[in-house]
Amino acid sequence: MVDWVAAFSMPLIQNMFMVAAIACVLCGVVGTLVVVKRMVFVTGGIAHTTFGGVGLAYYVMSVVAVSWFTPMIGAALFAVVSAVIMALPAVSKKLREDSVIGVLWSVGMALGVIFMSLMDRSVVTPRSFESILFGDILLVGSFELKAIAVVTILSLAIIALFFRDLQVLTFDETHARLSGINVTAMNLVLYVLIAIACVVALNVVGIVMVIALITIPAAMSNMFTESLKEMMIVSVILSLIMAFFGLIIAIGADIPPGATVSVTMGVLFIIAITAKTAYVKIAQGKAE
Amino acid sequence: MRGHELMIPIEIKDLTAGYDGRAVFSNVDLELRDKDFLAVIGPNGGRKTTLFRAILGLIKPMGGTVKVFGKEPAGSPPGIGYVPQNENLDSEYPISAREVVLMGMRCKKGLRPFYSSEEKESAERAMEYAEVSDFADSRISNLSGGQRQRVYLARALAPEPKILMLDEPTASLDPSMKDCTYDILRKLNRDGIAIMVITHDMSSISHDVKRVACMNRRLIVNDAPEITQEMIALGFHCIPELVHIGPCDCGGHNDG
Repeated sequence: MVDWVAAFSMPLIQNMFMVAAIACVLCGVVGTLVVVKRMVFVTGGIAHTTFGGVGLAYYVMSVVAVSWFTPMIGAALFAVVSAVIMALPAVSKKLREDSVIGVLWSVGMALGVIFMSLMDRSVVTPRSFESILFGDILLVGSFELKAIAVVTILSLAIIALFFRDLQVLTFDETHARLSGINVTAMNLVLYVLIAIACVVALNVVGIVMVIALITIPAAMSNMFTESLKEMMIVSVILSLIMAFFGLIIAIGADIPPGATVSVTMGVLFIIAITAKTAYVKIAQGKAE
Repeated sequence: MRGHELMIPIEIKDLTAGYDGRAVFSNVDLELRDKDFLAVIGPNGGRKTTLFRAILGLIKPMGGTVKVFGKEPAGSPPGIGYVPQNENLDSEYPISAREVVLMGMRCKKGLRPFYSSEEKESAERAMEYAEVSDFADSRISNLSGGQRQRVYLARALAPEPKILMLDEPTASLDPSMKDCTYDILRKLNRDGIAIMVITHDMSSISHDVKRVACMNRRLIVNDAPEITQEMIALGFHCIPELVHIGPCDCGGHNDG
């Protein structure tokens, strides 16, 4: 039986909940933009390329012995570069978007495997593939926590400042152009925000399950809200509730936290769809 | 606006336009006059929407010129309100009719996260004009096709344009909604707004518009609200009599 008071007094567990809370706030807001602009596949592509960055960071750390080039910085580098490539008009006009995503996704993952096989393991001991791909929130250190908090605040400030433009862009790109919005620049901002959210989220759920944290709360929120702002707020609240619920189950059952959070979100999503469908049918029945 | 009144709203000379270096229409000449009401008809694939995109500055001309109030319409053309085809927009987006209309005010520049009281007042006026006020707070996914079309009309009217361009505003609307839409357009035209509308609705042409143009990779304009035999031949690749008598068997097709 878990001693919950003792568990919650542990700095490691407190750190885990703080990281999850920050990630939920950012992913709830950015995830809303992802869902309304139907960019889930883009998000998956960016998330998976980060594996290349993690591998590069371990390789550089082992060969050059630089301590500042951490796996999270490597992941951020790959995420932002892949986001910029996807957003560039020169690329999107000449190539199909899903093809570009497919190339970046697979090459990013493959580079990660190659870099990790080339690194000197006597100098640096890397996290396991399983921990990187499926998450190990318990390994997030205080530097990462501070970095995640800072980029989250900056990202939310950018979204607040450009909210009207992002709303127009995600609803009607043609109208955005006609309104004088620099659509290329604004798309770039949006893709980079998604890249940052992916890097923050992978600390909680790992590379493979980033999509769960970014997509599921926002998709659930879309079922019950009337405006973009409302959808962002409800998405953050749902994300926090589901992530904390998942983490508590993980501690209680002693199972991997990232996977538990993803499964919890998935199950609650199915329950929400079922409940909404039943509610609509009952309401229609009453109306008839 | 005073300067606008002295100039021709839209002036197109010898325009060639297309995509990826391939022209889809060429040598188009057209004038949209002050307080004009011009219907653009033609078959699907006749490149009517491409003509609109060139006027709006969304694609660059490959040859010839487009002038909106004397200026090339690169970026955001001044004084034009545009109503897109209804089905091109995401009706599941979480947004109210009022917020969609407020988007029309984004053309007022500035990095402000909120709309000013003046912008909100302009949006309210546009909603009253387009008869949207009754369902202003409804989510657009809960509105009918006709109501949604009026929301996009109000969005185009919010910044008080001198020209209104509409792409098939009555497509898939029932007859009463079509009448309602054309009532609003007639009222706008009487108030001095020049209107250019792409339509397949031939019944509206005789009652509502002042001039007709037919576009099928080239453009013919008639200064009266009548469809000429030349237009029918251009638009349907058939001699006019066959159009009236029965199915066309002349082997022509409407290029998609």
